[in-house]
Amino acid sequence: MNTILRTVKQAIWLGWKVETNWADPLIFAIYYLIRPLSGLLIVGFVFLIGSAFGAGFSPEYFAYMFIGNSFFIYVVQIMMTMSMLIHDDRAHYEVLKHIYLSPGSWTWYILGRALNGVMNASISLLLTLGFGVLIFQHALGIQIPINWVGINFPPLLLSLTLGIVCFIAIGFILCGINIMTSKVQFMLTDYVSGILYLFGGVIFVPQVLPSWGQTISNALPITYFLRIIRLAVLNMESSSVEADLFYLFITMIATIILGVVVFKIAEYKARRDGLIDKKEEY
Amino acid sequence: MREELVHNLRAVYARLWVRIKGGNREPEWIVAELVIPLLTLSAYVYLYKMLNAPAEFAGFVVIGGTMIAFWVNVLWNMSAQFYWEKETGNLEIYFVTPVSRMAILLGMALGGIVNTTLRAVVILGAGTFLFQAPLIVNEPLTALLMFMLTIIALYALGMLFASLFMLYGREAWHTANLLQEPVYFFSGSYFPLSSQIVPYAVQLLSSLIPLTFGLDGIRRVIIQGQGIREIWLDVVALSVFIIILLPLARFALNYMENLGKKEGRLTLRWQ
Repeated sequence: MNTILRTVKQAIWLGWKVETNWADPLIFAIYYLIRPLSGLLIVGFVFLIGSAFGAGFSPEYFAYMFIGNSFFIYVVQIMMTMSMLIHDDRAHYEVLKHIYLSPGSWTWYILGRALNGVMNASISLLLTLGFGVLIFQHALGIQIPINWVGINFPPLLLSLTLGIVCFIAIGFILCGINIMTSKVQFMLTDYVSGILYLFGGVIFVPQVLPSWGQTISNALPITYFLRIIRLAVLNMESSSVEADLFYLFITMIATIILGVVVFKIAEYKARRDGLIDKKEEY
Repeated sequence: MREELVHNLRAVYARLWVRIKGGNREPEWIVAELVIPLLTLSAYVYLYKMLNAPAEFAGFVVIGGTMIAFWVNVLWNMSAQFYWEKETGNLEIYFVTPVSRMAILLGMALGGIVNTTLRAVVILGAGTFLFQAPLIVNEPLTALLMFMLTIIALYALGMLFASLFMLYGREAWHTANLLQEPVYFFSGSYFPLSSQIVPYAVQLLSSLIPLTFGLDGIRRVIIQGQGIREIWLDVVALSVFIIILLPLARFALNYMENLGKKEGRLTLRWQ
């Protein structure tokens, strides 16, 4: 148990150092703010302009979009961290074989690096929410109907925990695919993020999608993850929270099983075919 | 003089060939470059649909999503290219060959333009078909002119960035990331910047990016059916960008190369 905890702790620390040692803390903070904030600003202005030319401004829908886009940072950050991890450690820095040979399991090492991604996403989320409110509410005068002191924390924290576990499990699937392949790390991140962004009800309600799109949406954990988060942040009374939590839990279990199977197959093939120290000359 | 020109043209062709061959080597890359932009632009089209915005906004998004492919190519395959080359040990080979660095950059740019144009045509076609985006092209030659000027200005900017990225270590990765989405926002890739809702400060900053004028001009010609008389300001702005950026790229490349030699950073890896 001590070895596991030490491995996870060291991996979080290593991930933090790898991410941060290229810049001073201020530039790093700006970097972690600029990208997600730009995404939020794009969607925000699309919303405002679309509303002005369309059905008129709806504060409730704006809050829907604002929360969905902000919390989507967890998906982007975890996918990017875990998809790049194998490539970076194996082909770029050429340390994966040493990590594999060390006493701690590389599964716990990958988990530690993923938790570092969660930590970074949380920093990004807080900065984006803060600056998002500052820009839209205070600078542009748009009323976002969120009562920041009235957030319903138990379902929020429960949904965050289940959702993050689920996204890390998807990340393990990406790690497994990256172990068996090469040079697909960039597209995997974009595929997963793109599909979840389009079908997960992130910036628009899934009912706008065609029926087959709604079916996909109903099968994705992010749909329930964001739905519970919105209900918690907007402090809305809804009888569907329990059902959404149940679906999120079920999809999380399914994703974990799939993640474990794919990763174990990848590990077996990697040992059999000598892929752990594969050079790519990327 | 003639011999030097032939050498440089050969270098352009060689780099172009590698870029085209390399870019189309892996079928899964081609599929990803076609599908991923469609996923993102679909999300914005559905957001406009949810808001009951007019149908022309779908065309607006499709053209923005199509032109973004060029920005992504400029950023990752032009600007950051010398950083990748340094990491793989190719940069020093470029510097010892008896050709102009600008010829190498030009070859990379032309190869990138060919590859990305092929993908952009498919994205534009698929996006227009899927979302029934209404396009009205009264002056195809004006549309072509706007497209060419936009591409030249963008790749000139890419050449300038390439020299700056050459000395970067791992911050090259973060810098390219940092320039991606803010440019989507400031260039108005998914919404009209000319709207009164967009603050003046944002519009002012947008005018520093060539893609802004390119997108504005192309949309006016393709979606609103306007002609050269209405978009002449975009043509002038892009021409100014080209006149400034190309010599600046050449100057920056020489300057950064000398700086790199003095500081011994041209062959550094794993910084």
